[in-house]
Amino acid sequence: MSKRRPYVRPMAGWWRKNPFFVEYMIHEGTALFVAAYALILLTGLVYLAHGEAAWNVWLEGLKNPWYIAFHWLALAAMCYHTYTWFKIMPRTMPPVIVGGKRLPDFAITGSGLAVAVTASLAMFGLVWGMAR
Amino acid sequence: MESYKADVVIVGGGGAGLRAAIAVAESDPALRIALVSKVYPMRSHTVAAEGGSAGVKLPTDSLEYHFNDTVGGGDWLCEQDVVEYFVAHCNEELTQLEHWGCPWSRTPDGHVNVRAFGGMKIERTWFAADKTGFHMLHTLFQTSIKYPSIKRFDEHFCVDLVVEHGRVQGVVAIEIGSGEFTLVEGRSVVIATGGAGRVFRENTNGGVVTGDGMAVAYRHGVPLRDMEFVQYHPTCMPGTGLLFTEACRGEGGFLVNKDGYRYLQDYGLGPAEPSPRNKAMELGPRDRLSQAFWYEQQKGRTIEGQHGSVVHLDLRHLGEAKLRERLPQIYELAEQFLGVDPARAPIPVRPAVHYTMGGILVDGRCASPLPGLYAAGECSSVGIHGANRLGSNSLSELCVFGKVAGEEAARFAKASAPGNSASLLKQAQAVEQRVSGLKTKTGGNERIATLRKEMAQTMEDGCGIYRLADTMQKTCDKLDELKERFKNVNVEDKSSVWNTEWLLAIELEYQLDVAQSMAYSALNRRESRGAHQRLDGFEKRDDENFLKHSQAHYVAGGAPRIDYGDVKITKSQPGTRAYGAAGEKAEQERKAANV
Amino acid sequence: MSENQRIIEIEVLRYHPEKDKAPYQQVFQVPFTDDMSVLQGVQYIKDYLDGSLSFRWSCRMAICGSCGMMINGEPSLSCETFLRDYYPARVRVEALAHFPIERDLVINMEGFIEKLESIQPYIIPKEPRTLAQGEYLQTPAQLGAYEQFSSCINCMLCYAACPQFGLNSEFVGPAAMALLHRYNVDSRDGGKAERMELVNSEEGVFNCTAVGYCSEVCPKHVDPANAVNQNKTNSAADYFMRFLTPKGGAK
Ligand SMILES: Cc1cc2nc3c(=O)[nH]c(=O)nc-3n(C[C@H](O)[C@H](O)[C@H](O)COP(=O)(O)OP(=O)(O)OC[C@H]3O[C@@H](n4cnc5c(N)ncnc54)[C@H](O)[C@@H]3O)c2cc1C
Ligand code: SF4
Ligand code: FES
Repeated sequence: MSKRRPYVRPMAGWWRKNPFFVEYMIHEGTALFVAAYALILLTGLVYLAHGEAAWNVWLEGLKNPWYIAFHWLALAAMCYHTYTWFKIMPRTMPPVIVGGKRLPDFAITGSGLAVAVTASLAMFGLVWGMAR
Repeated sequence: MESYKADVVIVGGGGAGLRAAIAVAESDPALRIALVSKVYPMRSHTVAAEGGSAGVKLPTDSLEYHFNDTVGGGDWLCEQDVVEYFVAHCNEELTQLEHWGCPWSRTPDGHVNVRAFGGMKIERTWFAADKTGFHMLHTLFQTSIKYPSIKRFDEHFCVDLVVEHGRVQGVVAIEIGSGEFTLVEGRSVVIATGGAGRVFRENTNGGVVTGDGMAVAYRHGVPLRDMEFVQYHPTCMPGTGLLFTEACRGEGGFLVNKDGYRYLQDYGLGPAEPSPRNKAMELGPRDRLSQAFWYEQQKGRTIEGQHGSVVHLDLRHLGEAKLRERLPQIYELAEQFLGVDPARAPIPVRPAVHYTMGGILVDGRCASPLPGLYAAGECSSVGIHGANRLGSNSLSELCVFGKVAGEEAARFAKASAPGNSASLLKQAQAVEQRVSGLKTKTGGNERIATLRKEMAQTMEDGCGIYRLADTMQKTCDKLDELKERFKNVNVEDKSSVWNTEWLLAIELEYQLDVAQSMAYSALNRRESRGAHQRLDGFEKRDDENFLKHSQAHYVAGGAPRIDYGDVKITKSQPGTRAYGAAGEKAEQERKAANV
Repeated sequence: MSENQRIIEIEVLRYHPEKDKAPYQQVFQVPFTDDMSVLQGVQYIKDYLDGSLSFRWSCRMAICGSCGMMINGEPSLSCETFLRDYYPARVRVEALAHFPIERDLVINMEGFIEKLESIQPYIIPKEPRTLAQGEYLQTPAQLGAYEQFSSCINCMLCYAACPQFGLNSEFVGPAAMALLHRYNVDSRDGGKAERMELVNSEEGVFNCTAVGYCSEVCPKHVDPANAVNQNKTNSAADYFMRFLTPKGGAK
């Protein structure tokens, strides 16, 4: 009879054991804010569909200081999420070859972030222009 | 005891063992193959080979040249008919590996690229960056998975052969995970257990390279041939012995002493030219380079480091880009282990034991004198390395002769009747009794590590780069003493699962036998040839008395008996071994004499 | 040498299946020099302090893949991790995470080997070629496409870094997926369709949630996360191809 008796270590609390996992969990956590914000926008859309009066009620609601605080929080979370998302982007795509050389990771992350920032600013400018 | 019936048993999952297993599987898919290895195959020490594998490739090269380099490099102690077979089959085997997926480095047009190597006249060393052995081993291992007839016994430690009616009929192994014994029956057995470099103190070898298979065959009366020839590699890391591949010099690295002087030009290897010339200076053969180091040390021209004297391997002029592309692993080793950036500072190096030229006596078809027993790879002495192996010949050897051994073992198995399982099992049980005794006995007081250390030190003292009768005698005496003390060895760990202390004790006993065969063979060879260099009145090669293979025969409880066998010469009569400008001159003279 | 010899504390997670119900910590005092690796530290323990300590090792040069351990909680090759980097603090050594412990620092790797075997890790030739025809032509760029993924030494650090593997040991996991990818993108190979079945399966790539730590700890820059995630894309494409072409995608 074999005397082997392999011991399986428990996984409970695994994400607290390593700073890398903690960061990963925060990244995953910020995704909740992204989802929550999508929901908010969706509700806005529903109100809009009910006519101008409904829309104004919704807009008024947004002015609540709690809501504004939440917006700031969501913005911060979203920025963090964007950053970590692009940070792992080089790990998720085929190598990009430019001039026979492989594009380094930071170049991919950097261009991803640059595109995200540019797009956000353009959007912001557009909405700003329409609002005035 | 568990037992398993195979047709062919292969002991060793390194390059040679895997190639043999595939050869058996391809020659007859009906044959059941048992591949027994004490580590998972990809951990085998073939993995550590860096530089490359030789096979004639360029149109400017020829089999003749490869033959001459090998035989001359081996100081004419080679079996020339076997070398002829070898050089003729290298290219084919390396191409076979290419078809199996080996990521050989390429030329821009997609052909396999070749690089220069020490002692080779023309560039003919195939390489996969500086991880050639790694890629060859993984390619072979992964390819072996394709064959359902290969049943692997991973992490099974072979402790003995079972021999009945004058032929070998299987092996006994310990399953390391459970500590239990298994009998693996087979109508033929291939030993491919690798070298024995760890009997020396400073060496480039992995922990598994303990000469097990050599000792097992030796104890069954198979002679070990040419064991005194142990190769020192000139460029190793001080302290750990880790290797900086010869490819460093193949790519153009310099060896300099404490004055920054390329000292090899003082030892008949010059002239010193800015870029490497084949078979000259830094690309001379390993024995000569290691010997030159020794002389520099005597003259006080080496540099004193924490782990003894060193010289400098200077790669700075090659530039970071080339180093990172061609020698990436070397770059990392230097940075991590030594804190040296080789693009900016020279690397301290010194010689360390690297390769066992001798081994289990086999003929050109890998058959040992014991019917049914075959051997291939570093554990064997098939006769291609003579007194000094040329770098990059041994990886090719694994493929060429791994295949031969597999095919021959398959043929033998098919022609033989199966054994009597009951009586084989009885033998195996006796083996179990004996081997278990090592850990169950009590009252020992010798530490394994102490004995091992003393053995390694005495081997270095007596059988180093240069040898003297009285120090060799001292080594022989010391080994006798250690064998006596081994009887008193203490294995603290009495348990079964993963009892590595017990395995270390078994390995140590193997190592002591192999060390003895080396030391006594060395003492008896009263000449200097290749890696065996004496300074006590036998400084010259003596073809009259010693153009002979030494053969060490096991004597239970005593010193080995040494006798001699003939060397097969087909077309190259012994000449002077000269390198550098002198070598070119000698070759021209030879050519002139031939026409 | 002796003047720069200091003592470091090494804390080892011990487990002996014949004696212990569960693992426990044991601390050893080990004299060390600056060039000593953690592996040399545990070797010292075995040689002089406690012969019963078990661990795997061989090459000492970070190429055989035997010596992976958790060192201060990080998956590392013990032969290329140096004691000097921890001194004067204590260094904590444990068997690779997420694998069953056989004894002390030795883990059970049978499951990993089965995974390697399951991915058909050999060339399934696109165009057969005889030896007489010589080598397949492969440009340095074609070699470059898979070379990185062929550098895996099977050390399993990436599995010890993968919580998804820890939670579900059926997951094929980073290294095996990297090897699968290595063959799929080799210009000589034509076996991709056969291998995609495993990629798409329950044990396949979609267990991965892009934690990315596997690539972080890989000592050979294989970037297994990249192989896994590229194959998510491949798998998705494969899925849609099944609708578009009668014979597209894996069977
Ligand atoms: C650092 C280094 C660099 C090198 N570079 C080159 C190079 O560039 N070119 C070149 O041509 N050569 C080179 N060599 C030499 C060459 O790599 C070896 O000679 C060759 O790899 C040996 O292969 P093998 O199959 O005979 O043995 P190994 O690869 O050592 O395999 C031995 C096998 O036997 C098994 N085994 C051993 N004992 C037992 C036992 N008791 N029970 C069960 N199994 C057992 C082991 O598990 C292992 O699987 C180098 C060697 C070293 C050390
Ligand atoms: S991918 Fe990297 S970490 Fe994972 S097994 Fe291979 S070498 Fe080790
Ligand atoms: S001992 Fe081989 S990788 Fe560390």
